[in-house]
Amino acid sequence: MAFADDLLADAFHLASRGGKKPKQSSLRRAVSTAYYALFHLLIDDFVAHWELEHQRARLGRMFEHRKMREATFKPVNKNSPTSIESDLSKVIEAFLRLQDDRYAADYDVAKVWSRSDVLTTLALAEQAFKSWRSIRKEKIAQDHLLSMFGARRG
Amino acid sequence: MPTLPAGVYKEAEIASAVAEVEKLLAPHVVRIRYEITTDWNDDWAVYFRVVLSDKASKKNRLREVVANIEAQLAERLDYDALGLYHYHHYRSKSEQAELRGKAWP
Repeated sequence: MAFADDLLADAFHLASRGGKKPKQSSLRRAVSTAYYALFHLLIDDFVAHWELEHQRARLGRMFEHRKMREATFKPVNKNSPTSIESDLSKVIEAFLRLQDDRYAADYDVAKVWSRSDVLTTLALAEQAFKSWRSIRKEKIAQDHLLSMFGARRG
Repeated sequence: MPTLPAGVYKEAEIASAVAEVEKLLAPHVVRIRYEITTDWNDDWAVYFRVVLSDKASKKNRLREVVANIEAQLAERLDYDALGLYHYHHYRSKSEQAELRGKAWP
C-alpha cells in the first residue's frame, strides 16, 4: 500500500476513535491527515516520473502548499467538460477544501469539529483519490501536477 | 485585505439560493447558515454551515445527502462569477445541540 493510502486509512481510523465522544485531538488529526494523504498522492505521482530515484524525495519537498493551491485549471468548454476534465476539477476542488480544513484543524483551536463534519472531509479525500487514479495518466492531469509544482503554463 | 468580490455585493443571490435549498431538502437539512469571509490564504470565500437531521447524518446516508446539498447549491450559485471559494461544514442536529455556541470550522 502506498504512503498516501496509509495516511488516508489513518485518517479514517482517527475519525472512528472515541465512540460517541470523540476527542477533538483525534478529529483534528484525522482532518489534517486526510489533507496530507491527498498532498502525498499528488506529489508521489509527480516525482515518480523523475528518473533519478535518489533525488525524488528532495524534489517532493520543493512542492509548496500555496503554489499548489494557485495552480489553475479551466475546462476547454466550461459548460460541457469532458469526463477527464470533470475528474480533474473534482480533485482540484477537493484539494482546496481539504487545505482550508487542514488549516482550521491545525491552527484554529477555537473551532470545534463534529464527527459528521470530519467524515464528510474524509469522504471528499477518498473521492479525490478515486478521481485522481482514474485520470492520473492523462496529459492534462500530469500538466496540472507541473502547474502545482510551480511551472507557468506555456 | 483583497479586493471585494462580486459575491459580497450579491449576497441576496446567495441568501435566496440557500433558502431554496433549505426548503427543497428539508427535513434532511434542518438549516443552512453561511458567512462570506476570507479563508486561510486571505482569498474571499463563502462558508456554508449545515445542520442535518440525525437520520440524514447516519454514516450510510451522509455522503449521499451531502453530495446532494452541495450539488443543489452549485446549481444555483456560480462561484467563479461570484469570485468566491466555497467551503461546507456539517453537524447533525444532536451534535449541534451538544456543541451549541462553539465555533464551527
